[in-house]
Amino acid sequence: MCRSWLGGPGLQREEEEAFASSQSSQSSQGAQSLTFSKFEEKKTNEKTRKVTTVKKFFSASSRVGSKKDIQEAKTASPSINRQASIETDRVSKEFIEFLKTYHKTGQEIYKQTKIFLETMHFKRELSIEEQSECTQDFYQNVAEKMQTRGKVPPERVEKIMDQIEKYIMTRLYKHVFCPETTDDEKKDLAIQRRIRALHWVTPQMLCVPVSEEIPEVSDMVVRAITDIIEMDSKRVPRDKLACITKCSKHIFNAIKVTKNEPASADDFLPTLIYIVLKGNPPRLQSNIQYITRFCNPSRLMTGEDGYYFTNLCCAVAFIEKLDAQSLNLSQEDFDRYMSGQTSPRKQDSEPWSPDACVGVKQMYKNLDLLSQLNERQERIMSEAKKLEKDLIDWTDGITKEVQDIVEKYPLEIKPPNQPLAAIDSENVENDKLPPPLQPQVYAG
Amino acid sequence: MAQADSTLRLQTARDQPSVFKLVLLGSGSVGKSSLALRYVKGDFNSILPTVGCAFLTKVVQVGEAALKFEIWDTAGQEKYHSVCRLYFRGANAALLVYDIASKDSFLRAQQWLGDLESEFLPGDIVVMLLGNKTDLSDERQVTFEEGKAFAESKRLLFMEASAKLNHQVSEAFSAVARELLQRQEEKVDQVQRTKSQVDLNEGSLRQVKCCAR
Repeated sequence: MCRSWLGGPGLQREEEEAFASSQSSQSSQGAQSLTFSKFEEKKTNEKTRKVTTVKKFFSASSRVGSKKDIQEAKTASPSINRQASIETDRVSKEFIEFLKTYHKTGQEIYKQTKIFLETMHFKRELSIEEQSECTQDFYQNVAEKMQTRGKVPPERVEKIMDQIEKYIMTRLYKHVFCPETTDDEKKDLAIQRRIRALHWVTPQMLCVPVSEEIPEVSDMVVRAITDIIEMDSKRVPRDKLACITKCSKHIFNAIKVTKNEPASADDFLPTLIYIVLKGNPPRLQSNIQYITRFCNPSRLMTGEDGYYFTNLCCAVAFIEKLDAQSLNLSQEDFDRYMSGQTSPRKQDSEPWSPDACVGVKQMYKNLDLLSQLNERQERIMSEAKKLEKDLIDWTDGITKEVQDIVEKYPLEIKPPNQPLAAIDSENVENDKLPPPLQPQVYAG
Repeated sequence: MAQADSTLRLQTARDQPSVFKLVLLGSGSVGKSSLALRYVKGDFNSILPTVGCAFLTKVVQVGEAALKFEIWDTAGQEKYHSVCRLYFRGANAALLVYDIASKDSFLRAQQWLGDLESEFLPGDIVVMLLGNKTDLSDERQVTFEEGKAFAESKRLLFMEASAKLNHQVSEAFSAVARELLQRQEEKVDQVQRTKSQVDLNEGSLRQVKCCAR
């Protein structure tokens, strides 16, 4: 069975070759010795890169350079680039290991994936929509072939599709995430500015059913924000979706703790909007566009991940359109807050700055509590001292009173005038007693 | 070949029922979430949500066939109306919920229907109009006849239910499930009649969809 299978090393070699050809100069350094001609080539590459970088500043369109130039110019710094290629290598190895368990089908899948990546290499100059379409077609074709030809059961197909997505998107990421041919970056900046301008929005205005007064809840809010921010650091669309799902789960928990009942969509969407406003996640639009274009489409329209992703899209659309009415404010108030003339939180009685972070706020509250405790302690101390004094006074008073009484009625102990007579002693008051009856004889 | 494929499809249908996405639409406080929660809770086999009831799933048995409902709750507040179209993508069914004790919610349901009509071709989506809160019949503002007449004029399924009393709730969802399966069968038949080759693709497409879940 495994004879037809060339085995790991063969596949790996093939894989490395493909890798080398797609990465041009970068990875060839390690694989082959650096000849002078290669060095020369690299130098010219460097030159042209500099030129295109300068060009880029002046021309709006980035299509001026050749595709290699774009690729080169896009790599931000060498260290980031190296890190990325290490990750790419790791993912490739994992992918091959994974496919080995599927024998012939795995080999077929690998071949198809390689061909796809090669064609994508030549399609870099096409619009991002066309590249997205190619990817989606590829997903569908592979899944279909697996089922009809490979007779792979559906749940396995799903697993394999996840791995394929991971593999190809780790490689394509840097070319198709926030590409210069689109206005994704402009949109990113626009939504970022918009969220910053809305910094004054309170949970009350959005009717958010989450009370951050509860430490447990505020902890969950922080975690939700961390998750949504983390989305930007992932390269695979599915990993990005997982971040959104994690964030949503924290939101549900926060609502559950506050309201003590399972959250409905009526509760969830406003809270997600609040989290997005508070977190201002980096490159929000780029991430949404990237997921929409390159995730397996069935994942977005159905499934739990899809549900949360749709909610995030709704939240962003809402923030873009948000007006006075949607916050239950008058137009004048809304305009004043937007222009920064006043802030709705200024009316708050809290003595500390409203922008202070949660920890600082908590600290102020604790200080407040401590001073109150201190006051009470002092009161208790003075009360205790008073009580002590009262006790001393009382004893003194009693002593004095007793003394007074003793003085007034001095206790005189008189000696006993006569000892009590003993019954059986002789002659004791015998004289006072009548004489004993004497028997008399009556003549009768 | 065609036969082999159809048996394969039957097999997968038995192991993994097809997934249908159902969106819950209606203004706030008409009891959308309560309906879904009541429906899902009635089944002991389904996994109950621990924290939220915004996204629920349930496997339904209709005769010999089974299908899996994926219930998407939507935010009903007026201010979110404009963004809620995003939920529609890929939906197979919609439940338009109104409160029989609120005329306003009935009008809002009609608005939602308008949105659906602009997004879907007739026949692409199964829509049911559902009057909730029959337990509040003393405060009724929308009569049964009124609801039914509107539903009939728009060719929608229609029912009245009470999530609170658990009256007619699972019946409503089952009616939607039956309609979905019937339409699917009709579609398959139609395609089979025209070209068996296309049927193969249709079958695998459906599988792609269900395995993706």
